[in-house]
Amino acid sequence: MVLKREIYKEFENIVGANNISDDEALLDSYRYPLMHTAIHLGPYYRVYTPRGEAVLLPGSAEEVQAIVKLCNKHKVRVKASSTFWSAWGYPMEDNTIQLDMRRMNRILEIDEKNMFAVVEPHVIGATLQAEAMKHGLNTHIHGPGASCSCLASATALNGLGPDTAYLGHHSENMIGAEWVMPDGEMVRVGSVGSGLGWFYSEGPGPSLKGLIRGMVGSMGSMGVFTKCAIKLHPWPGPAPFPTDGRPPAYKAVLPDNLMSYTLGFPDWEAWADSCYLIWEAGIGYVAHRQFNMFGRDLKGAMVRILSDPTKTLGDIVELLKDPEVQKMTEDMKRDYQIVLAGMTPRDIEWQEKVLDRILEKTGGWKVEGMLEPNLHDWSLLYMLRLGHKNLNLVYGGGYDGCFGIGGTPDFATTGEYPRVEQATDFKKEWEKKGNIVAAGGDGMMGGIGGMGGGGMTLWENFTHFDPHDKASTEGTYEFFNATSEYGKQKGWGPGMEKMNDYARWTDGRTTPKEIRNKILSAGGQPEALRYQRKFYETFNPNDLGDSYYRTLD
Amino acid sequence: MAVKEELTGIVSPENVSENPETLGAYSRDLSFAKPIQPKAAVRPHNVDEVQALVAWANKTATPLVPVSSGPPRFHGDTIPGVPGAVIVDMSGMKNIMKIDRRNRVAIIEAGVTYPELQPELTRAGMRLTMPLIPRANKSIVASLLEREPTLIPRQQWTILDPLRCTEIVWGEGNVLRTGDAGNWPSMEFAFERKQSAVGSGGPAQTDFYRFVSAAQGSMGIVTWISVKCEVLPEPHKLYFVAADRLENLIDFTYKVLRFRFGDELLILNNTKLACIIGENPDQIKALMGKIPSWVALVGIAGRSILPQERVEFQEKDIADMAQSSGLQMTATIPGGQNGKVLDLILNVSREPYWKLTYRGGYQDILFITTLNRTPEFVKTMNSVANASGYPVNDIGVYLQPLHQGASCHCEFVLPYDRDNLEEAARMQQLFTRASQAMVEQGAFFSRPYGIWAKMAYERDTQTTRVLKKLKGIFDPNNIMNPGKLCF
Repeated sequence: MVLKREIYKEFENIVGANNISDDEALLDSYRYPLMHTAIHLGPYYRVYTPRGEAVLLPGSAEEVQAIVKLCNKHKVRVKASSTFWSAWGYPMEDNTIQLDMRRMNRILEIDEKNMFAVVEPHVIGATLQAEAMKHGLNTHIHGPGASCSCLASATALNGLGPDTAYLGHHSENMIGAEWVMPDGEMVRVGSVGSGLGWFYSEGPGPSLKGLIRGMVGSMGSMGVFTKCAIKLHPWPGPAPFPTDGRPPAYKAVLPDNLMSYTLGFPDWEAWADSCYLIWEAGIGYVAHRQFNMFGRDLKGAMVRILSDPTKTLGDIVELLKDPEVQKMTEDMKRDYQIVLAGMTPRDIEWQEKVLDRILEKTGGWKVEGMLEPNLHDWSLLYMLRLGHKNLNLVYGGGYDGCFGIGGTPDFATTGEYPRVEQATDFKKEWEKKGNIVAAGGDGMMGGIGGMGGGGMTLWENFTHFDPHDKASTEGTYEFFNATSEYGKQKGWGPGMEKMNDYARWTDGRTTPKEIRNKILSAGGQPEALRYQRKFYETFNPNDLGDSYYRTLD
Repeated sequence: MAVKEELTGIVSPENVSENPETLGAYSRDLSFAKPIQPKAAVRPHNVDEVQALVAWANKTATPLVPVSSGPPRFHGDTIPGVPGAVIVDMSGMKNIMKIDRRNRVAIIEAGVTYPELQPELTRAGMRLTMPLIPRANKSIVASLLEREPTLIPRQQWTILDPLRCTEIVWGEGNVLRTGDAGNWPSMEFAFERKQSAVGSGGPAQTDFYRFVSAAQGSMGIVTWISVKCEVLPEPHKLYFVAADRLENLIDFTYKVLRFRFGDELLILNNTKLACIIGENPDQIKALMGKIPSWVALVGIAGRSILPQERVEFQEKDIADMAQSSGLQMTATIPGGQNGKVLDLILNVSREPYWKLTYRGGYQDILFITTLNRTPEFVKTMNSVANASGYPVNDIGVYLQPLHQGASCHCEFVLPYDRDNLEEAARMQQLFTRASQAMVEQGAFFSRPYGIWAKMAYERDTQTTRVLKKLKGIFDPNNIMNPGKLCF
């Protein structure tokens, strides 16, 4: 224990004895194993994030502010996390206290007319969705799934998800925030700062929302967000959300104005054309290449297993021999899932016709096997709730994404040898080594939207491995080194598999400065990171954050 | 060295002016801002010139006031706040740098106006959503940076939409490209790879472009932006839903917003709509008596695939919504058929600027609230007007739902005869009283021009504290339009 007893006592006075601990066994449960799903780091076999000095469970914004002020006084680093998605939410160095925000879990307001909610940090997507649906509204569920914090995604991390084209990116949906800044001062961003409610994110004058986040947020390096307002969106279905079946094979039981399809295309250009056309027409409630995360060769069998409670992973070999499964898998080779949601009977009728017309224009089809009612309803629930994130780990207990080809649909798909096929072939070769799951090379999952109204697609090539097997874990790391080099050679930009190398290094601690500077200097505009250095020095004068915040001297 | 001589080392001589008449035009506008004569005006034509101007200003401690739109101007934001300033008139930067139909993006320089861009977009099968009848010489960059409301709330994914990427010369002299444009060495590099300037986030962990929005040129100078366009609508119809009580129209408008139906969606009172349709004061006066008290304008457009069918089903569904609010959706209102009014609201203003037609001058009070709260503000505005002896029937009201309905732009337009000094003095008093009353009632002055700045920042001292620190980072010598906002 490094924290002096009197300092510990001061923290205890803020949150109460029941909400603080420096018990080593408990602190070890707040460490993160970097051998699996470290998003996008490693994997490093049997390496863990550093142990915090204490963990605190604050119960209010006032307590958080008092804690941060005390951290400034004693020069103790602070790392807050709500739902602890991946290594981002964990300390980088010693002399760090951890804030577990789980006690702040209230939905403070749902403004039905103006379609927004005000939430505390530990409100998760599933909870907000269930409550919003009672008001005929819905919330965007971001990529990490329905069990993750809405606030963390909106303020501190990314906020991308399968439903982004209709339900917005969380950077767009965040319309106000209460922020305990790293210097201990509290600022409320947007109209709420003037005490007028949470309806507007900008101003007065220049917007401080820009300081909170850009493409991503500061990942817990720049203070603590204690409330935020999230814009909600129309929900034309019933509340509560009716479900049936046994998890993970449970399914939605919804009226015919909510339909889920898997669309297949003859080539990648047709696939890209369809993306542009659905955005232009403005149809679709969710659009995502979801089930391909199980792999191009395995996904047909996997959706059969996952939608049938009598089946297990052990059935996959037999299922792969089934001609019907083989046909469905082939039909789904270049695919994505789409959910149509009609606000009125006329609306769903029109959207169905538009979708058929898009398929006519592009030569695409609705994958027949996925129209089977049981699969349809299973897929519908999966896409609307995004509550199956455990399935990311289904093959070997570990996964991470690589390549992450992102941008316009054309970027990944055009040319005689599209980038998406190059990434597929590259991975397929590595699958032969036996350290990662042989799923067909293409495990590329990603949203058809990227921002409200659409505009970009992302291709995260899921790589499944066994984190408890040294050879598999190290083989995966070797593979990611190779993908990174391949991406560089091809001029695709840095791969997502190395996205956090600038911050956390192989020992689970801060990346050495020389390496960090080299990585960050190679980015698009180093000048942006020099400004971030100034923000850090200005608002975080006692250096209480960590290297997830990107800065250059 | 004389100022002109120094400036002609940066831009060509014909783009530097010390002409008193020219400078006089920059020294005042139609607001109550105190006129201050600048010492020179320059017209840069590229980012290098802008950057050199900013470097010179830092070296010589000369205030710079960026201006992109032509006159008349209305809110005092481009009037120098201190003597000795140099106007940086961006209206000469007219390049339409790229029109990307596939990704529905256009990249334009700071001086490009709506009438310059829209025909080019039309040729590519697109258009850009506009604010309500801007003047013909209004810079698109200025309009979007100042967060002027646009007409289609369902297409607003952020308050700043359709603004996406920017190139900014900060007050301390560095150039930064924001959004997707910040990810690549150059836009040409991006286009070669079939990328585009479509996403607004970043670069990195900061949305830098938000620092120049509603900044009144106090942080830096924006040289170009990218905008997200819509597919050119065809067919495109406009309908009216009229009501005697605003509350009834609000109920209807929320229904349309809830389903994210329709396209243009706004509420006007009879005075405001009469000022749009009427071409002279007499016509306006006559129309004010005929048009119902409140009218929602609902555009319905078809685009891309099955456009006719979209318009047809939404006509029926939206008519049903009107009926369920006890209202009727119609193709005409007294004095206006839908085609004529649609044409008016989708284009720039006739000359003189339409808001000036009725009385020759006006003041407006504009702020953000939520749609359900707008009747309270209307009541307060009328009450203050009555107390000041101002004719309530002359007040124009424009309510524009924003960000898919999460908030609402509320605008009161107060026409008056600005050549009548007595009337102008009374208007100044009314404007001040009404602004104060709105603040007390809970108006959020997101774009705090003139006297609103003090009112807005006094309410939010923490934001003021942080903004001042940011200003110190981006403009440490306070050369960018000093005296505005809280700077």
